[in-house]
Amino acid sequence: MTKKKNIGRTLCIILTFIFLYMPIGVLILFSFNSGDSTAVFQGISLRWYKELFTDAATLNALKNTLVLAILSSVISTIIGTAAAYGISKMRNKYVKSATMSATQIPMINPEIVTGISMMLLFVFVANIVRSSSLLGFWTVLIAHITFNLPYVILLVLPKFKEMDKSLPEAALDLGCTPFQSFFKVELPAIMPGIVAGFIMAFTLSIDDFVISYFTTGSGFETLPIRIYSMTKKRVTPDMYALSTLIFITILVLLLISNFASGKNKIELSKKAKNAVKFTGIGVFGTIATVTLIILCISAATEVKTVNVYNWGEYISDGGDDSLDVNKEFEKWAEEQYREKYDKKVKVQVNYTTYASNEDLYAKIANGAGGYDVIVPSDYMLEKMYSEGLLQPLDTEKIPNLIYLGDQFENMFVYEHTVKDENGAEMKENQTYGIAYTYGVVGIVYNSAELLENAPEILEYIEKEEAGWEVMFGIPKRDENGNFVYDENGKMILDMDDPDNKKFNEAYLKLKGQILQFNNPRDAFGSAMYYLGIDVNNPSEEDWRAVYGLLALQKDYVQGYVMDEIYNKMEKGESWIAAYYAGDCLSMMGENTDLDFYYPKDQNGDYTTNIFADAMCIPSTADESNLELAHWYINFMMEPEIAYANAEYIYYGCPYNYLPTDENGDSILDEETLEANKEAIDNYRINMGYYEYLFDKNGEILTDSDGSYILEYDENGNRIVDPEGDYFVIYNADFENSLLSMFEKFAYKDLTNSYVELSNGTKVSNLTMLNDKWETLKIESTSMVGIYIICLVIALGVVAFFVYTFIKKRRQRRFYWASTTPSKQPQKKQELPDFSETAVIAIEKAKKRDK
Amino acid sequence: MTKKNNILKQAAAYPHMVWAVLFIIAPLLFVAYYAFTDKNGKFTFANIASLAQAAYLEVFLRSICFAFLATVICLIIAYPVSYFISRTSPQAQKILVMLVMLPQWLNFLIRTYSWMAILEDTGIINSILGIFGWELHMINTPAAVILGMVYNFLPYMIIPIHSAMTKIDPRVLEASSDLGCNPLRVVTKVVFPLSLSGVISGITMVFVPSISTFYISQKLGGGNFDLIGDSIERQFQTQYNYNMGAAMSFVLMILIIVSMAIMNKYSDDEGGVIV
Repeated sequence: MTKKKNIGRTLCIILTFIFLYMPIGVLILFSFNSGDSTAVFQGISLRWYKELFTDAATLNALKNTLVLAILSSVISTIIGTAAAYGISKMRNKYVKSATMSATQIPMINPEIVTGISMMLLFVFVANIVRSSSLLGFWTVLIAHITFNLPYVILLVLPKFKEMDKSLPEAALDLGCTPFQSFFKVELPAIMPGIVAGFIMAFTLSIDDFVISYFTTGSGFETLPIRIYSMTKKRVTPDMYALSTLIFITILVLLLISNFASGKNKIELSKKAKNAVKFTGIGVFGTIATVTLIILCISAATEVKTVNVYNWGEYISDGGDDSLDVNKEFEKWAEEQYREKYDKKVKVQVNYTTYASNEDLYAKIANGAGGYDVIVPSDYMLEKMYSEGLLQPLDTEKIPNLIYLGDQFENMFVYEHTVKDENGAEMKENQTYGIAYTYGVVGIVYNSAELLENAPEILEYIEKEEAGWEVMFGIPKRDENGNFVYDENGKMILDMDDPDNKKFNEAYLKLKGQILQFNNPRDAFGSAMYYLGIDVNNPSEEDWRAVYGLLALQKDYVQGYVMDEIYNKMEKGESWIAAYYAGDCLSMMGENTDLDFYYPKDQNGDYTTNIFADAMCIPSTADESNLELAHWYINFMMEPEIAYANAEYIYYGCPYNYLPTDENGDSILDEETLEANKEAIDNYRINMGYYEYLFDKNGEILTDSDGSYILEYDENGNRIVDPEGDYFVIYNADFENSLLSMFEKFAYKDLTNSYVELSNGTKVSNLTMLNDKWETLKIESTSMVGIYIICLVIALGVVAFFVYTFIKKRRQRRFYWASTTPSKQPQKKQELPDFSETAVIAIEKAKKRDK
Repeated sequence: MTKKNNILKQAAAYPHMVWAVLFIIAPLLFVAYYAFTDKNGKFTFANIASLAQAAYLEVFLRSICFAFLATVICLIIAYPVSYFISRTSPQAQKILVMLVMLPQWLNFLIRTYSWMAILEDTGIINSILGIFGWELHMINTPAAVILGMVYNFLPYMIIPIHSAMTKIDPRVLEASSDLGCNPLRVVTKVVFPLSLSGVISGITMVFVPSISTFYISQKLGGGNFDLIGDSIERQFQTQYNYNMGAAMSFVLMILIIVSMAIMNKYSDDEGGVIV
């Protein structure tokens, strides 16, 4: 072959590899980022590698992923090889083809269908055996084996077919037992297939997210699931660091194995084989011993596990020199057991994460129990309570309840039915949840980009009366003040009224730069706040209006996003977005051009969502774990712990460390007050921090690292630093305004709130919300161009097949006419058959030569 | 070989058959059950019927087209690459094949995330183009979603084609060129028919995951155009409408089984091996 061709060939391979490795290069680059972002590179550091090794949950997820991949690929290789052997020996055509078809189903079935179908099965079985904790490691393992099996079988089966049938027969003739013949003769012949099957199974298992996601339950989290659950918060660069490490490890292993096998084979083979054997035995021996030791130790001490299911990135986890709250709890609880029961107990927090309220609900409502503490948001808590998925908390076991802010005290108190001694039913109020964090939705914008591209909008926002119109534009109304819709139910931007026209023209400059929530509650919520509709009790006309508004907005948004918002806002990819205030602050820390405001209505009052996430115990929680679960909740309210969390999450802290009685006197004794001093200060910062978000009256003092400095003047007032980023002046009124905001703006469960339609039927608002969201999401402009391209290619392929078919027939006719006049049924495709025969002939010749 | 002996050998497949009935067939019955019942467990066609509305047909059409294009592009890239790889030394082949698979060992969510950083308007490609004063809007377009599919599933096209090609004896190729075939004819007349089984399994392994993906379209498409996978995921995870979700899954499954059956009809002539 010529040199030119070789260059073309190499270039082709190189380009493909560049394509395959480009994102990996990016990933490696950002793993060395010194900032928090995976989009803005701030400088080189090993920070995320350090953090990775302190992140116990991630390492645990990595361990789970590896254990799962190894187990599932080993088991499926064994079952699959046996199956391939059995299938290759099958004579009955129908049994064989039926088995083969069933085998292929997981391959040709979309992953999502496989995952869901298995989930339905497991949930069904769990309901029968009444086990609430069936979903978990074992179900995921079964699922992985199931989707690995077909690949193993289909890689091994051809090897059995290719194997010379006379080989095992010869072995038997020469005195082998069937057993020996299989292991000494057949197995080596099919080994390449088995190895390929194993590697394939391992790869698929390690990479699988969808099926694991649907089939897992409490306490079992693989790496992909963990990454996916970071969807509300950011995907942290330590995931990139982990990926880099995995990548390098495999690359090194690959090079070593290649180098080793590259040596002179004949000389080394025996030695190498022995070495491999001994290493194998050594490794297995070590694993077995370690397992045994661990088993012995764990048998000696009692292990108590509390299963906590929380939002992704929603607890101080020890990264960045923060407090590892779960570890602290383990230590504390072990101490408690020693003091209280004089027992040596090993306490473990099994901490797993989810991405949204809806994910959490889907898991709990499916009966995937085994969770002891969960943290739903307000409206989801209400829904779960009304469906009997939660149990009342034993407030006596939570002494730290005195710290709970007044406005949160009765927020999650619901009726609970108890039976008295006589069996009569009694209703009493019980606490079902204790607030964990709270927050507000606001609008974050890039002032630099707006200044350059849409200065009118920036000016408008800076007048401090801006509301949601910046996100939506101003829709057109007719002379009666009713909204005008087009034939698809979409609203139209108002271009008639001169003022509105001016604003809308500025708004149009934001086209393709706006980000909207990718969840129905918040997306529809934002439209409702804008139109002044009660988010919990909309009428049919209201639903029509909010849908029309969101459909209008759809033409101007860049995308519907959750966690991607961090990267997109931080690097200036998008200019404006609505998101949770704490997260907006976190973005502002990465990009100083970003700024933030709370949307106001025409009267200048705030109109936006406020939410609280609360700790609850599901009704399926293990009874023996209840005490530990209460301890956990109590521990989260400890001043030090709550502050560590608040600082990590950036959301509001719902605890008041200066609790007072009705007369305004402190109810804490001097000692506790003294002990809480730091927490009190921190608490004030946190409160003020939220206050800042409402009124930019001053700044919080920060030092160069961005930590807060506490300084007071002689009157005890905190010194305000005009240069700093934030301010704080604690204001008691703030709490009251919070409470009224909750009453007005917090989401409530919509399941049992109904809207009366004009045709007289009543529909649940939740159904309404979901239906409208579904319509909004699936509606999109037809991609005619793409359809045409597809059609052209498809027609081309069909034409090609028809052409070759006709050509072949012609050739054949010619062939028959000239040589064989007999009307024998002709075999199609002469060439492959011929070449296959040739291959076999050559193979045989080779063997003979040997 | 005695018959008894053979039956005994067949028994090696039994564990797998039991497994298949329990964990492949049974779960699918559940999907079918949910697809044809309403919330109260009553038999109904309403779920399937409601998929006939224009918007859903569009979603199905869009998913099919995206997956189809992704498969075609994968094939166009993968075929020459696998051919070239198969023509290198066995040592090099081993390394190259492993290098093709290596990206799959890193999490696919993370890899898709990095693509966002590459494709965005402020991303890597555009900052390079920006030096020349060019600009190319890629993120949140159909092309970006298709690119994501091609990227994520390309190795699953290369590997089977390559493995089919390595089985071709080089002497067959030599023979055909000796017999007067030009290099192009060698590829079209000898290599292609002999590697067709690999192509078919490659197509399966790319088309199926592409048509049902939901993460790629969310991240690279900005959630602006839903694929069928997005709709199914939403039905199960946010709307809790298992019946509707199962109905969509059911239709998708039928769709794929039919298209695979048509394709396997072609491949049957070639020996019918999937992988």
